[in-house]
This record gives sequence, structure tokens and C-alpha cells, in this order.
Amino acid sequence: MIAFSTNQLQKFNQIVARYPEGKQKSALIPSLLFAQECFDNWLSVEVMDYIAQCLKITSIEVYEVATFYSMFNLKPVGKYVFEVCQTGPCMIQGAETIIDYIKKKLHIEVGQTTPDGLFTLKTVECLGACGYAPMMQQGKFYREHLTPEKVDQIINELTSKI
Amino acid sequence: MGVQLLLDKISVKDIQLYDVYRAEGGYSSVEKALKLKPEDIVEEVKKSGLRGRGGAGFPTGMKWSFIAKPSGVPRHLVCNADESEPGTFKDRFLMEKIPHLLIEGLIVSSFALGSNTTYIYIRGEYAWIVDILEQAISEAEQHGWLGKNILGTGFDCNIYVQRGAGAYICGEETALIESLEGKRGNPRIKPPFPAVEGLWRRPTVVNNVETIAAVVPIINIGAEAYSKIGVGRSTGTKLISACGNINKPGVYEIDMTISVEDFVYSKDYCGGIKNNKKLKACIPGGSSVPILPANLLFNTADGKTRYMNYESLSEGGFATGSMLGSGGFIVLDEDQCIVKHTYTLARFYRHESCGQCSPCREGTGWMEKILLKFLNGEGRHNDIDLLWEIQSKIEGNTICPLGDAAAWPVAAAIRHFRHEFEQKIKI
Ligand SMILES: Cc1cc2nc3c(=O)[nH]c(=O)nc-3n(C[C@H](O)[C@H](O)[C@H](O)COP(=O)(O)O)c2cc1C
Ligand code: SF4
Ligand code: FES
Repeated sequence: MIAFSTNQLQKFNQIVARYPEGKQKSALIPSLLFAQECFDNWLSVEVMDYIAQCLKITSIEVYEVATFYSMFNLKPVGKYVFEVCQTGPCMIQGAETIIDYIKKKLHIEVGQTTPDGLFTLKTVECLGACGYAPMMQQGKFYREHLTPEKVDQIINELTSKI
Repeated sequence: MGVQLLLDKISVKDIQLYDVYRAEGGYSSVEKALKLKPEDIVEEVKKSGLRGRGGAGFPTGMKWSFIAKPSGVPRHLVCNADESEPGTFKDRFLMEKIPHLLIEGLIVSSFALGSNTTYIYIRGEYAWIVDILEQAISEAEQHGWLGKNILGTGFDCNIYVQRGAGAYICGEETALIESLEGKRGNPRIKPPFPAVEGLWRRPTVVNNVETIAAVVPIINIGAEAYSKIGVGRSTGTKLISACGNINKPGVYEIDMTISVEDFVYSKDYCGGIKNNKKLKACIPGGSSVPILPANLLFNTADGKTRYMNYESLSEGGFATGSMLGSGGFIVLDEDQCIVKHTYTLARFYRHESCGQCSPCREGTGWMEKILLKFLNGEGRHNDIDLLWEIQSKIEGNTICPLGDAAAWPVAAAIRHFRHEFEQKIKI
């Protein structure tokens, strides 16, 4: 059975407390983001049902939302996810070169995860960093002004953490 | 550099910290405003001529005056920090560098509108900025600027940060409200407008980050002085996020009297085109506004100098002009392929369409596919006309303006760069 730990539950309750009585459904998106952090960075049906129960709403209300927003992973992803922006402003600064480089380096295609479960490569649309292109999101932070060398560095840095 | 009202303190060391911000005169607009009547603040904002900085440029004071006040029903201010329009990264800059300016503006604006619970809806990807904002909010609370009975006036206010989870459409104000209610970001049919029925069907005002920040200098220097900065109906200052093939991408505060040419070539701003290339085209106000070829960027069709303001950039209508929009200034040099750039934008809008209206849901997909055909060298002559026809059928036929926003870039690319499409036709 999936459940928040005591600490996690406390944080979850803080999220719900931001909204007036009876409007706890408003906490759904932040709750799902939080649940993703707590449970392996993806939303299984079990996790979604659990959140429904916590917020006293129906499961379908959770599925509806989880399938709409691009930041929710409905399938397992690697430990580190590279989300490379491919929209116009990043494209003209070399986003494609970066995407190709990561593909070659990690031997995966866009949307795939390395066999060791470490890295997932995704393409995303404009992340509001167009002036610091090319860029990607990796976890909570942005990695900007990417070059192949910088990609190498990031991969080394993350691999050495394990 | 021209007048700076928002970013003037940006280079002060540690300005993101409360003590430093306060020592630089921060929060004085709250002291001043909370002595006034809320209606007087609304009047002041009206007089300032401030227009919404989120893209549409709607007069802020007027919007505020529309808020319904049924008795016993709470009202809400919601700050739009969804910032997802390609080319736009100014709100992020402001929140990261000088978060207290936004919090200060939100307190004054909440007081003016009677919002005791105010939300900042921020795009989910800006995850680390949430921490910065929450830190600023808690510092403001500790110093009595937020919470109960602020400055002994009897006014209570709390600010909460709500993250989105990756959906451009949630920048549209009614989709944002839906999302804040814990639903899919499907825009609502208007009316009713949010000012009457918004968040939880309560009267709500949604304003952009920069709009709210601008309320601070308006209160500090007074509407009169603020309205004298700029020109015509473009008063005050505007943040421009400049990107693409320029020497100095970044966020700049301009007063709206600078010419577009100066903005591109001055060393204080974009610093010219990178690698000494020639300028080919520019999207001056975020991906949704029409692209302009170099010859229509610096001068209007009848030869007048073009300036970085609402009126001048839209001069000539869509035939020969564009829009100031969100201030996302995207510069393309001579090596860039307009078809390819337009394709990435079409893909963006297809990806972001919420799917409620068929012209938008289907049309954005068709436009993307046809543009890809051109890119692969498989376009046919009548595909240009087909593309034109599709975009014209989306425009004006949808619930929210995302449909228009998807149509306009394609229309402008064909209008001004038809030859580039023709070059890619399979013979
Ligand atoms: C598709 C779409 C996306 C939008 N995205 C944003 C956005 O990211 N940020 C923003 O402030 N306004 C955005 N807007 C405009 C908002 O609907 C609304 O006009 C704005 O928040 C009002 O604030 P303002 O008057 O202060 O500009 C968007 C509009 C549309 C149609
Ligand atoms: S125009 Fe597009 S994004 Fe807007 S409501 Fe219709 S389908 Fe949704
Ligand atoms: S286009 Fe990549 S961050 Fe905006």
C-alpha cells in the first residue's frame, strides 16, 4: 500500500491549508507534483488513487488532471530526466545539436531511458529560458547555455553521485 | 539607458534579501497605499495609464474597476506567473532577482481590490523560483507586511504560491483559474468575466507579474509622474526579454520611446546581431505576434521610424505591423529558415492546444503537418494556399485566443516570406 510518511503527510497538509474550507480540490496539482517527488518521480494508478482519497475527490478527477499536464509522468522514468527545449528560440541556438549529442552519448532516442535506469531524454516546449539557449531542465533546475562539453560535465557529475 | 522603475535596484548586492530590499526603500509603497482608500488606489492606477504586461495590454485600472463587490463574497487577486509564451522570460528574471518587488506590488494591489487571499500561479517548471517567492513571503510576514491587521489598518492578507504542471494554456486567465481549482486547463466561455465570476465563482482579477510590480513605482512616484514616462498610451516602462541571434540576450527595461533599431544595435541592449550577420526578421512580442522582416521592423510601411511601444509596433495592422505583446523579442539572422522556425512554433501550439475547439485542436495539427512537409522538401504549390486557408479558419472561431495565437505566426510567415516556402516546393 502506498502512503505518505508522517513528514510527507505534514507537508501535504500544508499544501491543502492554502485553500479555503471545502476547496481542497484546488490542492490537486501541487499534490500530484509532491506525490511524484515522494514516489519515484511518476504517477502510478495506485498513487493517483491514493491522492484522490487524501483530497476526498474521485479517482477520475485525478486521472483527468494527471493526463492533461506535461509535467506528470504516467510511466516510470529514469533517475535523471533531461528535458531539452526544442522551440524556435532554442532551435536557432543549436538545440538540435544538443539533442543529437545526448542521443549518441547515451545511446537512446527521445522518450527512452538508458538500460541502467539512470537517464531519460525528453524534448519539451519553451521553458522560459530562451535568452540562455540551448537549455534543458534537469530535476528542479535549469541547465543553460548548453554545449556538448557541458552535457558531458553534467552526465559525469550525475553519474559520480551514485 | 532610459528610466528604470522596476530594475533600478537590480544590481544592488543581495537585493533579493528582505533587509537589503527594505534599506533601499522597499515596502514604502505599502506604507503609503494603506493610508489611502482602496478606490483611490484604483483611481491612481487608472490615471497612470498602466496597461497589462501579460500580452493583451488591457488598461489595468479599468480592469480593477470592473471587479464586482457582492456583499459577503470574498474577492481574489491572482498573479499570473505562468510565463510560457516562447521568447518571454522577463517575469522569471524579475521574480528571481527582486522577488520582494512582486510581493510589495501584490500587497498594495490586494488592498486595492479587497483580496484577503491572493495566489501567485507560477509555471511548474520554475520550481526553484517557488522557493525564492516563499522565502520572500515569509520574510514579509515576519515584518508585518502580510498576515492579520497589516500596519494596524485592519486589512488581512495572505499570499500563496501555486505551481502549474506544464501547460501553456494555463497562462490564459480562465484556464489559469480552472487549473487553480484543480482541473484541466480548459478556458471558460466568457462572459461571465473573472471580475464577476472567477476563482470559485468569486470576483477575481488576474494580472501579470510585471503589471503588479509596476504598481509599486506608480504609488511611489505618483500616477502623474508615471504617466509622463513613455509616449501616448504606452506609459511607464516595459520589460523586454531579448533572445535569438543577438550579441546580448537578456532582460531589459525600456521606456517606450526607444526606436526598435536602437534597441537592436545599442550596446546597452541587444548589442547588434551576433557574428556580424545581417538581420533577417524579428518577432517583437512573443511567439504569438506576427513576424516582421527587417525592412518593416525599423520603419513602418510609410517610412516612419518604428519605436518599441504598443502603438508604433502595431502600426500598419497585421499587413505591415506586429504587436508589443508580452515583450518577448526574438531576433533571427540571415541564416535562419523562416519555414523551420514557423514549424517549431506550429508544433508548440499543437502541443499546447487544450483541445476544446475543433478549429484549434485540428487546425494546429494540420498546420504543423503541412509545415513539416515543406521542411522535408515535399510541399506542393497549393499547400501554401491550404496553410493560409487553415490559419484563416482558426482565427476568430475559438473559445480563447490561443487559436489566434497559433494562426498569426503562420499567416505572417506566409505574408512576408512566401518566397521561402516556394523555395521548398517539390517540383
Ligand atoms: C494562450 C494564452 C496564454 C497566455 N499566457 C500568459 C502568461 O503566461 N502570462 C500572462 O501574464 N498572461 C498570459 N496571457 C494573458 C492572460 O490571459 C491575461 O490577459 C493576463 O494575465 C492579464 O494580466 P495583465 O492585464 O496584467 O496583462 C495568456 C493569454 C492566452 C490567450
Ligand atoms: S482555442 Fe484552443 S486552447 Fe483555446 S479553448 Fe479552444 S482548443 Fe482550447
Ligand atoms: S525556446 Fe527554449 S526556453 Fe524558450
